Order: sequence, then C-alpha cells, then structure tokens
Amino acid sequence: MKTEKILKSAVAAAAAITLTGCGSSSTPQTETIDAQTEFGCSTINIYNWGEYMGEDVIPNFEKTYNAKVNYDMFDSNENMYTRLLGGSSYDLLVPSDYMIERLLKEDLLQPLDKEALTNLGNLDPEAVEMQKVYDPDLAYSVPYFRGSVGFVYNKNNISEAELEEKGWNILLDEKLDNKVFMYDSQRDAFMVAFKALGYSMNTDNEEEIEAAYEWLRKVHQTVHPAYVTDEVIDAMAYPNPNEAKDIAVVYSGDAAYILSINEDMGYFEPKQGTNIWSDGMVIPKNAGCPALANEFINFVLEYDSSYDNSITVGYTSTNLQVKEDIANGEYAGINAYLPRSGYDKDEVFRYNDVLVQKLSERWTKVKLD
Amino acid sequence: MKSFSKMVYPYVVWAAVMIVVPMLMLVLYAFTVKGNSVLTFQFTFDNFIRFFSDPVFPGVLWRSLKLAVITTLICIAVGYPTAYAMAKLKPNSQAVAVLLITLPMWINMLVRTYAWRGILSFGSFSGEFKVYVGMVYNFLPFMILQIYTSLSKIDPSLITAAHDLGADNTQTFRRVILPLSLPGVVSGITLVFLPAVSSFFIPKLLGGGQYVLIGNLIEDYFISTGDWNFGSAISLIMAVIILISMYVTRRLDRYTAQEDE
Repeated sequence: MKTEKILKSAVAAAAAITLTGCGSSSTPQTETIDAQTEFGCSTINIYNWGEYMGEDVIPNFEKTYNAKVNYDMFDSNENMYTRLLGGSSYDLLVPSDYMIERLLKEDLLQPLDKEALTNLGNLDPEAVEMQKVYDPDLAYSVPYFRGSVGFVYNKNNISEAELEEKGWNILLDEKLDNKVFMYDSQRDAFMVAFKALGYSMNTDNEEEIEAAYEWLRKVHQTVHPAYVTDEVIDAMAYPNPNEAKDIAVVYSGDAAYILSINEDMGYFEPKQGTNIWSDGMVIPKNAGCPALANEFINFVLEYDSSYDNSITVGYTSTNLQVKEDIANGEYAGINAYLPRSGYDKDEVFRYNDVLVQKLSERWTKVKLD
Repeated sequence: MKSFSKMVYPYVVWAAVMIVVPMLMLVLYAFTVKGNSVLTFQFTFDNFIRFFSDPVFPGVLWRSLKLAVITTLICIAVGYPTAYAMAKLKPNSQAVAVLLITLPMWINMLVRTYAWRGILSFGSFSGEFKVYVGMVYNFLPFMILQIYTSLSKIDPSLITAAHDLGADNTQTFRRVILPLSLPGVVSGITLVFLPAVSSFFIPKLLGGGQYVLIGNLIEDYFISTGDWNFGSAISLIMAVIILISMYVTRRLDRYTAQEDE
C-alpha cells in the first residue's frame, strides 16, 4: 500500500505542478522567514494520525520557516488523549470532533491567533459548519479533513438498489455470511446499529443502547464479520480471491483510496443516516512554541499543502478550492471523495463519557460472542 | 568477588523501577474504582466480581489457556524429535542445525507474522488454524533449543552403559535419555507457554479480526475503553495464572531432578 501511495502522490505532485502552472489560486511562498527571530522558537512537535499528511508539507514548512518539525503519530483519539494527559508536550494536535470537544471541556487547549491565520478564507464553508458543532466560536480549532462513514461494496455482487432498500440492515442478510468487514471501534459499530434502528447515534437512552447491542449481536451471529481497522483498506483495494469480502464499513477517505485502485468497488452512504466527522488542528495549553504552531496551521491551509495532504491521504480537503479541483481531477467520479453533507439524518459524534463506558463493554461482548 | 557483587546494584535499581513499581501500580489500579484522585483511594473488589460474574470473560480466559496449552503440546511433539535428531548429528552439522533454527529469529517476530499472513492467504483456512500456525511457528525454536541443549549434555557413555546392561533402544530412551532431557522440556514449556498465553499480536494479525484472546481484551480495556482499573484486574488475574503455572513447572522440574538421584 505504501509504495502505491507514494506512486500516487508522485503523480499527484506532477498534477499539482500543472495545476499551479495554470494559475489557480495558490500563493507560493517565496521569501523565507526565520522562525527563531520572528517567534522566539524554531521547533514544533506535531502529533497527528498515521498516514495523514502529504510527504512534502513538513519539508516545505521547515525550509520556508527555517524551523524543525518533530512528527509523532497516533492511531486513536483515546491514545492521543492518554499520551497528552501523561504530560507529553505537543504544539499541534489533530484530533477528531468529539475529542476536541472533550479537550475544550477539560480546558486543555489554547485559543488560536486568528489574526495570524490569513488563510482562513480558504476554508470550505461546509467544513466550518461542522466545526461549529464542537467549537461554537471557532476560536480553538481549524478543520483539517472531513468525511463520513459508509459501505464500500463489490458492485458485481451487491447492487446499489439493494443497498438503497436495506441500508445498514443489509448486514443482517444471510447471503453475506463471512463476506463482511466491520470497523473494529465501538464508536463506529454502534453508530451503524443506532442508525439502522433509526436512533440518534448520540443517544444515551438505555433501551436504545440495549436494542443496538442486540442488533450488533444479530449481525455477529448472521454474517460473522471480521473486525478490522486499517487492514480493511488493503483487503478491499487488492482483494485476495480466497478471502475477499463483498462489503465493508469504511471511512470515506479510505473508501476514496480503495475506489481509486479497485474499479469493482463502490461507496454508499445509507439513507438511514451516518456519522459525518471532521478532524481539526488545535494547540494544547502546554505547547512550547504556539506561535510557530499557529503559523503551521496557516501553512496547511495554503493551496499547495492542502492539495498534497488530500491527494496523498484521500480524505476530503477542507480547502474549498482544493476540494473542487481534486473532485473534478484526480478523484473525478469517485463519490467517496465528496461525502454527503447537509442531510438531516447525518450526525456529528458528540463527547459523552457515560455513553462511551456503556458501549465499550457491550462492544467487547459482541466480539466475544 | 566482593567488588563484583556490587555490580548487581544497577539491575536491582532497574528491576525496582521498571518491574516492582509498575506491578504495585497494577495491583493498586485493580483494587480501586475508576476516577480516583491522587490522594484518596476507594478500594473495591468490583473489578474481579465483574470479571467472574459474566461468563464472557472467563470464556476468553479459557480460550487463551487452551490455545497456549495446545501450542505448547504441539511444540513438544514437533520439537522433541527435531532436537533428538539434531543431537545425533556430527558436531559440525549440529552447529549448522542450531544456526538454521536460530536464523529466523534474526528477523523481527512481527515481520515474520506479517509474512505468514501473506502465505496463509493463499488457501481458505479458518482464523483459528492460522493463529495456531503462527503461534507454533513463533515459539517452536525456543522449545527445540532447550531440549537440544539438555540432550546434547547427556554423556554418551551413559547410553553405552545402558546398552551394555542389556537395554534395547526403546528402553534406553525411556529409562535414560528421556529422564535426562526432561529439564530441557520443562524450561521449554516455560519459554513457550508463558508468552503464548498472553500473546496478543499473533491472534490479532492472523485471526482475521474474529479471534479475541485475553491479551487483546487487556489491550482493549487500556487503549480503546480507557478503563485501566478493569484492565489491571484482568492483567492481575493473568499474572496469578502465570505464577501458578510457573510453580507447577518448577515442581515438575524438581520432581524429575529427584528421580535422577
């Protein structure tokens, strides 16, 4: 997968050169700034998701600002949170919506210097709309990527009409026995169950939780899903004939990548609604060099960085121009790149500690059944 | 000699900081309720009651123990004859054989397990079968080397003496070679069973997301749920089981040692 992605980003880089050559709205930074004299420090520690940034973004930033970037990766919001509470000092984090909400509630973030964020105007209004849910004053975060959760399915074996009709409940169809990948995260699995039953995914009604648990158990007993995380990307993009699955619950960005590799696959967001999410850049309170981190956020919002990020990773850019260019260019015809927005049954996940506890135990039990 | 004994201090300090303190913290977590502040602890047995009152958790424990026991038995069944054959080779060939057994260990275990994932995807095997293959593959060398070491230490004159006294090959093996090699088998069991019972990445990588073991459960509670208290309780239960099994193997070792005399 790695080589594939590198190849792809090479192609993308070539495409980017042609695009900028055509005089699109990018503003290439020519003059260099000395971070030490300008901001009093020249090193920032970034903590981001794995495989979540273009290859050239950091080298370009380091060159332009004569700065040094230390880059660490996490694989779940909870991991990131544990590490942060353990006292690690970072200048920039990229957690998801509900985790930003939690960090804000626990007063672990500092407000951004919006005066210095001259590129905020590049943001996609749809992304800002989602950001308002967890950061109402837009004071602490800047959207990084956004997306949805849906099905990646093999178009030869499952028809779109069938998905239209059954939605998430297709997971209760016996013919899909051993043909299903389920995302191994209580948050996403229960989201699917809540939506299949027509509930809100942020419910903490005990009966609804119990019903969702029963639904997941039924899925477990009927189709015996394989519970996976990132392995799903390779498994759907390059299916092995002996263990190929027909359908998988996948994040839209991973879906965009899968669809760009494997033409047999389609992406579908059920009518019952789904989780729409966004990840945002935030600066923790204990940051050592917040001014430069602020500058980095501005740098990511530039056309070139946003393009590099989005084309490498596959998730929907929060830079409006980049989103449109990629949707009409590299990812033309791949619906997963443009997740549904403005649909009233789609929801953003909210932080709710009690609910997390209730779900986690049940999720463990579903898998052990 | 006396000055040498001082050299043990760095290890004592290291063991205290890296082993004893974390173990104590684990015990503390296991017996307290979630959300304690630093100074006030609220002690409880709830974490343990929760584990044993729900059949799901002991079920996972049972499955993990079963996997570890079967893995160990397969390792003995395959490892003993291999070690025996190795010990019978000429000295030079023995060195080559030992090299061949240890060679795969030069490569990281995780990488080798990933390789197995690729190899096993060519047929349609059940997740359970794949996990067993991965476990036996990873732990077999430890068993072979332990048994081989104790077999190669056996004085050949003992075998000659047994033959002189009229024992046939089977009798010589049963009465002389097997008892003398048992200490190797016992330490092989320790080296295979203990890591096998708590292994979590092999089932995770090869089980196709359909095979949850106690190690995965602990990981889940620490990392995704953030319930360190319950996670610690499970770890402690595991630790007790490991202690018991170590005690049993020790006794086995002493028993065989006594028989030698």
